[in-house]
This record gives sequence, structure tokens and C-alpha cells, in this order.
Amino acid sequence: MKTKAVIGKVVLTVISVILALIFIAPLIWSLAVSFQIEGKQIVSVWDWFKLPYTIHNYIDIIKTSAVPIWTINSLVIAVVSTALTVILSSMAAYAIAKIKFKGRNLIFFYFLLGLLVPGEATIVPLFITANNLNMIDTYAGLILPSIAGSMNMIIMVSFFKGLPNELIEAVRIDGGGELAVFFRIILPLSKAVISTVCIFAFIGSWNNYLWPLLCAMSQSKFTLPIGIPTFAGTYTIDYVKPLTAGMVASLPMIILFLIFERHIVEGVTMSGIKG
Amino acid sequence: MAKKLKPYIAALGFILPFFVLYTIFTIWPVIKGVYVSFHKWSLMGKQKFIGVDNYTKLFTDKNFVGALKNTFTFVIITAPLLVIVALILALLANRPTKLKKFLRTCYYLPCVLSVSVASFIARYLFAPYRGFINGVLHGLGLMAPEVELQWLQDSNLVWATISSMTVWWTVGFSMMLYISALQDISPQILEAASIDGASKAQQLFHVTLPLLKPTTWLVILLQVIACFKVFGQIYLITGGGPASSTRPLIQYIYETAFNKSNMGYAAAMSYVLFFILVVLSLLQQYIQRKGEREE
Repeated sequence: MKTKAVIGKVVLTVISVILALIFIAPLIWSLAVSFQIEGKQIVSVWDWFKLPYTIHNYIDIIKTSAVPIWTINSLVIAVVSTALTVILSSMAAYAIAKIKFKGRNLIFFYFLLGLLVPGEATIVPLFITANNLNMIDTYAGLILPSIAGSMNMIIMVSFFKGLPNELIEAVRIDGGGELAVFFRIILPLSKAVISTVCIFAFIGSWNNYLWPLLCAMSQSKFTLPIGIPTFAGTYTIDYVKPLTAGMVASLPMIILFLIFERHIVEGVTMSGIKG
Repeated sequence: MAKKLKPYIAALGFILPFFVLYTIFTIWPVIKGVYVSFHKWSLMGKQKFIGVDNYTKLFTDKNFVGALKNTFTFVIITAPLLVIVALILALLANRPTKLKKFLRTCYYLPCVLSVSVASFIARYLFAPYRGFINGVLHGLGLMAPEVELQWLQDSNLVWATISSMTVWWTVGFSMMLYISALQDISPQILEAASIDGASKAQQLFHVTLPLLKPTTWLVILLQVIACFKVFGQIYLITGGGPASSTRPLIQYIYETAFNKSNMGYAAAMSYVLFFILVVLSLLQQYIQRKGEREE
């Protein structure tokens, strides 16, 4: 009985490790390919992993392609989107959670409706709206539509509601306005939820595909997700350059993930539960 | 009086910026879309009112029916796989071994990729001749050297390609939901079952899985919703081919609106998707509320 249990454990461990290798194999393969010399003769699949390696592809991509511009676009858009999302959502959430005024339940309900609106099903009228505002092919058009999402706001409302009223009242009695309460009490106490929303907004923006595909018309406004696939058309003969570009686009996120794994995982579970 | 107004002014100031963006970019398009869908409307703008013609056209448009069918095919193949694989991975990665963290990181890592990079990698993975998958099958002697599987061309294999790529790329998210639910199961319950003589398998099927039921419902719905929204990976891997046999609804909407410049008809089609997704989200909200009450 006991040996059977031990064998069972070993078998499960072996299976779980094999699965883990299957999951990361495509990434390791892409990484290996990106270090190969272009035009190398490939006879069997193992040749992709063989030395000699070179970093020439990375230098080439950075020097001669539009990848650096797309990276900067992606970064700027993601950082600005994240900052605006956190600021605007937390402000609105604060008013709903902690300022007493008539009609706040109605407003909250109005903000909840957004949970039911699938962005994918409104791209056509969204495009028309953005076009009327002259926002197509501009940074504003790429950034603004994704800022005011219901989910981030709701996560913040439920967090703010849990903050103690006594502290807030104390500041108000001392003559501090709502701004003082917001900046001195609410924000410092909400680092956890803010970092969750930050991570989410950043990843969401960095990986956003459908809207930038419609909104970014000129190459100079492309983000990485829109630019990278254009490589496939230009260099289909060799795998090396396209996969190098893919790696350039992914490595920052992979590294960020490995550093902030715990926070990201918490954010994921939170969004699943709240969302 | 001034004192009474104060909270309103403060609240207004705090809410207004969010309110404006939310109204313009989330709520307004829903209303605007209805208006657009009753018109013949090109990329250049409105042309003329045509009533419900765009909606009646849906029933006779073979491409629309085909795209809807493809989306359903994708949901039916992929959503169950995503749920089952997520559960298996979560159970494996939640076992008390030293590898726990390593396993979770590996299973989740593909989720970090953007749809274009994930699709891009998949295109080369599944390519014949020098692609990784056929290469590995040859290298391990599982496939005769002269055979090349056409993962992207064969109309049956192509669904296997898209579906397995989607599982690889997104299953980590659901796995994390399962892991956090598994961690909420108190070890005492399992211990008690074990003292009562329940084997590991019995514990799994009679204790753990029933306790995971609310999470399973949530994961099923989230994945069905996500699968109905499929676009990027199919568009980027097969372009909807071979011969439109994998083209999903969103891609057809996209092509109708932006390649054929028929925004009105595209808006009308969008409401079919909208309706499906709203029903599913309401169901999801209902299940979540129920789950929260039971806790």
C-alpha cells in the first residue's frame, strides 16, 4: 500500500514536470531560434538549439526595424493609460464609497452597467465615435477609450468602503477638504488595491490588440502587438528575424512577470472573483 | 444652503472625469450602434435610413451564418478543454512538493504573451518542414520522416491547432482561479476524510471536486465568454482560412466594417454577439452573487 502511494506520487510529479516543459518549450524554442545565425541549414529540429549563438539578430532588429518605435509607443500608451486609469477610477470610487450625496447609488448602478458591455461588440460605433472626435491614429484615441472601465472602479469601491470612516472624519473636522482626505488618507491606505489595478491596466494596455488594430493607421503609431505581425508578411522565409522581434516584444513582460509574480497572481484571482 | 451643496460639488468633481470618458467610450457606442445599424453607413459616414434591412439580411447571409457557426465550433471545442486542463494543472501545481512554484510559473508563463506574439510563435511552431511540432514528432520518431502534418491547411487539424494554442496561451488564468479556490479548502476536511479511510482518489472526487463547484461554474462561464470573443489568434494564425472555414464572427464584423466599408451591417451583426455576451455575463453575475451568499 505504501509503495503504491510513493509510486503514485512520483508518477504525478513526473507528469507535472513534463507538462511544465511542454508549456515552456515554445518559448525556449523561440528564444533559441532568436539567437541563431540567419539562413542556417536546418535538418532536424535539434539544429535550432545548437551553437553557435549570436546576438546579431537583436542588434539588427533594434537598429534597422521599427520595433524600437513600437516599443516606445507601447510603453508610453501603457504608462499613460495606467496612470489615468488609477487616478480617474480611484477618484470616482472615492466619491461613491465615502462622500454621502443623493443619487450615488444611481451613479454606481450606471457604472456597473459597463460590466455587461462587451467591448468587442461595440468596435464599429466606437470607431465612428472616435473618428467624429478626430481621435483615429492619435495617441489620445489609443489611450482614452480604455481608461474608464467598470471593473477597476468596482474593485476600488469595494476596497474603499472597508477603510475606516473615523480617520476621514478626523481630517474633515480639522477643516481638510475632500482632496486632503483623498490624498492623505485614502491613497496611502490603498497601496495594495492600487498596485493590483496598475498591474492590470498595464498588462491590458500592453497586450491590447483589437482597438489599436483599428485605431493605429500609420506605422509610427503602431504598438508592438500591431507591429509584430507585420514581420510575418515581410520575412516569411526565415524564422529567425520574426521570432527575434517576438522575443523583443515579450521579454519585458516575462521579466516583469517573474519579478512581480505574486502581485500579478493576486490580481488575476481578484479580477476573476470580482469580474 | 451652501453647506448642503458642498458634498455635491466635491462628489461631482471626483466623479466627472471618469463619468465623461465612461459615457463617451463605453455607454455611448452601445446607443450609437443601434442608430448606425438602421442605416446604410460607409466608412465615410451615414448614407441612408434602411430600417431593419441590416437585421433581416443576417438570416440569408451565408458568410454570417458560417462565421457564427465557426465561433460556436471554437467555443464548443475549446471552452471545455480550458476548464478541464485548468483543473488538472491546478491540482498538479497545488501538490505539496518543492516544485510547486516552478510548476505554477511554467503553466502561467504563456499567459504573459500578447495575442500577437503567442499567435506568431504558434504559426512557426505548427508550420510544416521546419516548424517545431512536426520537427519534434520526427525527432522523437513518432512520425515517419516523409510525413508532414499540415496543421494550418487541413480543415480538421486547423481547429486542433487553434484550440491547443488557445489552451496553451490562456489556461494559466483559470488555473490560478482554481489554485486560489484549492487553497481555501481547509486541510482539516481532507484530513478527516483520510482518517475515515478515504483514498486519495475518493478525497478528490467526493471532497475536493464538490467543494470546487462554484469555482468551476465561474471558470466555465468566464471561458465561454472569452471564447465567444475569439478573434486575434485565429485572424493571426489562419487568417480565417482555409477558405473561411475558421473565420470567427468578430473577424467577419471587422472585415465587413473596415474592408467592405459596410458599417451599418457590421453594427447589426455586432448586436448578435452583444446579445449572446450580455446573457452570459448576466448568468455569470448571478452565479457569482449566489457563490458569495453561500460563503
